[in-house]
Amino acid sequence: MAPISLEKIEAIAPDQASLLAARKLVKPSGWSGLSCDDAGLIWGECQGSGSSPYRVVASEVDAGYKCTCPSRKFPCKHSLALMWMRSEGKIAFAAAQAPEWVQEWTRRRRPGAGTAGKDDSASALALKNLADAAAPVAEEVDPKAEARAAAARDRNRREREEAILGGLDDLDRWIADQIDNGLAAFAVNAGKLCRPIAQRLVDAKASGLASRVDGLPARLYALPEQARSTAALEQLGQLHLLAEAYRRQESLSSELRADVRREGGWTQSREALLTEEGTLTVSGTWRVLATLSEVQPDRLRRLESWLWRDDSAEGPRAAVLIDFVPVAGGPTRPAYQPGEKLGATLVFYPSARPLRTLVKEVTTTAEVTTSAEECMVDFRLPDKPLAAAMDEYEDALAAVPWLSTWPIAFGAAQLKRNGETLFLTSSDGVGPALPLAATQSCNAAPLLALESFDGFGLWNGHLFRPCFAQTALGRWVAE
Amino acid sequence: MNAAELKSRVVPFLMSGARRGSLDADLEALGGDRDHALLNALSLAGQALRFTQPAQPAEYAMETWPHDERPILPQAMRAHILRLLDRCTEDTARALALALEAKRLRPHPFDLPKLEGLVRKHADRLGVTAQYWAQRETSSSAPRGYFDAVELNAETWTEATPRIRAKFLREMRKRDPKGARLLLEKTWNAEDADNRAQLIATLQTGLSADDKGFLETIRKDRAARVRTTVQRFLAALSGSAAENPSLAACMERIERSKSGLLKKKQALKLELPATVKEHEAAGWIQEQFAGVTITELARACEVADCEALVDGAMKDENLLFALALMATREKRFDLLGTIADELPDAWGKMSDSNFEDASLYDSAERAQWAQAILRPKKWLPPLPFPAWSWLHRQLEGPLPANVMREVLQSKAWTTQLQEEKKPGTELVQVLCALCPPELRNFLRGQIEPLPADRNDKGLMLLEILESLEKTA
Repeated sequence: MAPISLEKIEAIAPDQASLLAARKLVKPSGWSGLSCDDAGLIWGECQGSGSSPYRVVASEVDAGYKCTCPSRKFPCKHSLALMWMRSEGKIAFAAAQAPEWVQEWTRRRRPGAGTAGKDDSASALALKNLADAAAPVAEEVDPKAEARAAAARDRNRREREEAILGGLDDLDRWIADQIDNGLAAFAVNAGKLCRPIAQRLVDAKASGLASRVDGLPARLYALPEQARSTAALEQLGQLHLLAEAYRRQESLSSELRADVRREGGWTQSREALLTEEGTLTVSGTWRVLATLSEVQPDRLRRLESWLWRDDSAEGPRAAVLIDFVPVAGGPTRPAYQPGEKLGATLVFYPSARPLRTLVKEVTTTAEVTTSAEECMVDFRLPDKPLAAAMDEYEDALAAVPWLSTWPIAFGAAQLKRNGETLFLTSSDGVGPALPLAATQSCNAAPLLALESFDGFGLWNGHLFRPCFAQTALGRWVAE
Repeated sequence: MNAAELKSRVVPFLMSGARRGSLDADLEALGGDRDHALLNALSLAGQALRFTQPAQPAEYAMETWPHDERPILPQAMRAHILRLLDRCTEDTARALALALEAKRLRPHPFDLPKLEGLVRKHADRLGVTAQYWAQRETSSSAPRGYFDAVELNAETWTEATPRIRAKFLREMRKRDPKGARLLLEKTWNAEDADNRAQLIATLQTGLSADDKGFLETIRKDRAARVRTTVQRFLAALSGSAAENPSLAACMERIERSKSGLLKKKQALKLELPATVKEHEAAGWIQEQFAGVTITELARACEVADCEALVDGAMKDENLLFALALMATREKRFDLLGTIADELPDAWGKMSDSNFEDASLYDSAERAQWAQAILRPKKWLPPLPFPAWSWLHRQLEGPLPANVMREVLQSKAWTTQLQEEKKPGTELVQVLCALCPPELRNFLRGQIEPLPADRNDKGLMLLEILESLEKTA
């Protein structure tokens, strides 16, 4: 198993201070029991300020980690230092059988993660332990209590459905009021107008819609002033569409119904998705093309990793892994970095246009290609004109009318400038011209020097966010 | 109602407000009560807009990225350099820019947005692409070419940056003083004040009576800095104190007396005005003596020669400092060495006074100057970081090896390495920037035991400089 690269360690570190702190620990003196196994697990005990040493374990398969220290940074300096020592290769790790606390960690991890390369006995051990863990629970089940709990769950569900429908009626009334007042004026006062109805939707337990309404002013203010009122019209129109679709969900296809309910705020747990039968599962070699980190109005950080499948076999080629972490103390960036490729099986959340996914199993470890030549030989984006990529967007929009962001992969495009705004257009000048957000202009400006490049980005219907480009000068990645 | 009608009729209606307009006939077609019909109209109009692809603008700006002949720095170094430049000192950035200039490498164009600070300050060392990037937001009314030729000549010298042009003129003055002056005369009226001040100073090299005519014509230049320099040159050429009001002003502040028991000798003392406070003294002296040459001062003080002038000023730090400034301007490194023996902190005072004339030397002269003025064995701790930063700015490169070795062995530096007085990362970085290749391992050995937050950038800089030097 290849050790985690220093670049990867740098990418997952929450900040520079953590790297500096970790560097101080990259010496054998503070560590004991540094070991590894053939399944890509490394572990050791680090003497910290506490009375007992911290137990640190990491997986070289997917850069997962765990440390018993009380740090609020993830990964902490101990985890980083452990990976760092392994990466440098100057300090020996003894080959050993994973101790119980390491096995315990692997058992608790999400199913499939970190299992690459495990031999049968290790898998059998994991299964045996799961079975052991499940057996006593089965014995303790009280049928009456179970029935009471099920009834309570049903009652809560019905109450929530009623609350959401009530919230949707209020939402429609609110939108009608905005229409009466004129949507040109709405864009000016969006922040003030949206907050009360967002709060009302929270009370109605329609958290997904509440987030959508809460984020609406920010989405409008990201646009040029002259585009805000039409964007407000589109956004409010989508809210009504969602409300109508929610009321009529029984008449929708199962995939679209899943979309609608998710937008309404119903969630599906990771475990439920991974164990559910009939979910869309796609295996292949996936390339990380973009990682985004954005703080939401609810003080959660949304971490997105956009993946692209190398082969063109049936099934979605684009996928997005989404994590939500608290702003205070959580990791500030996704675990993957652009350019990494990993062999993995992904499970998609049901949708009329499946995009959001979970990693079910990693089959080969992540690795990065860096040089321009390597990048061009190793991976090619589809040679599809921008106009064709936009046609796919329109198909997706027709299938999911409230679609917000859609991945666009294109070939032979060019960046051009008109005034202060940059536009992505095909290199022959035919077809649409997608304007870039002003915040992306500086970072993307070097692409202006190129006559043609292939790339990947995200289109929200108004602004294009370039994320990744394959160029004659090598790979370009958005910051 | 089709998409075009939705956009042409419904959208304006929704924008202006349903209370003001009326689309009753059309709304009826959408079914339900009025509110419901309005909401349906909104959703339909919104979707119609969403399916409208953005059109091409009427025209695009012409991109004029220059052709850059420099190779891009090796791919493997890009990430290291970005990490180094993240929150490093200006000295580290300068050292990197100098190394890239020496190897004629350029940053990767995709890194330019992340290297904004480096590019803005050192564009002329980083190739034409970096120059273009640095100027991309400047007004189009003042366009400038991008020039990065290895060798300038009389035809192309005006296209380079001011620093390169001054260097070219200085080199030409060594071979052909008249030719260089004629080049300067031709472009003089088109230069701005900063350029004039920088370019006129190059006449110091090979200054002769032939230059007098040109100097007379620009004696009343609009820029005070130019007037002061011209005045100094004219005074040096004429040899008469009467023609130099700066000298007269200085002489009013110099007290002359005799000292010694067996052999009486001249003792000179510079009296500072009462209004000049201690921390302002270096700046005042620098300004006061800017237009005076050491030879004319010796003559005015009625001493035999420049050496005697220095000898007479030995007991007065202020006057010694003034002489150090003059010796630096006039490249009298022999005198400067004598002064530094008595005033080892002369370079620190120069940094306090914002003296920048040393930057006019070529690399060999800068090394001579450093050897003359730096006396590490006589320094007392602590070593102030601003002075080191100033020194690197003046030298534009590493210290001579013998001087750097003395610095690294000096008490002033080794005391800082002790447990209780660890040097800050700024000081470590500037010493790494000043360190010549042959002493890097020695310096590494000294700073490696320091905490990571103090030595990480310094060690990284040393490693990157070595990698760059090995690049073919």
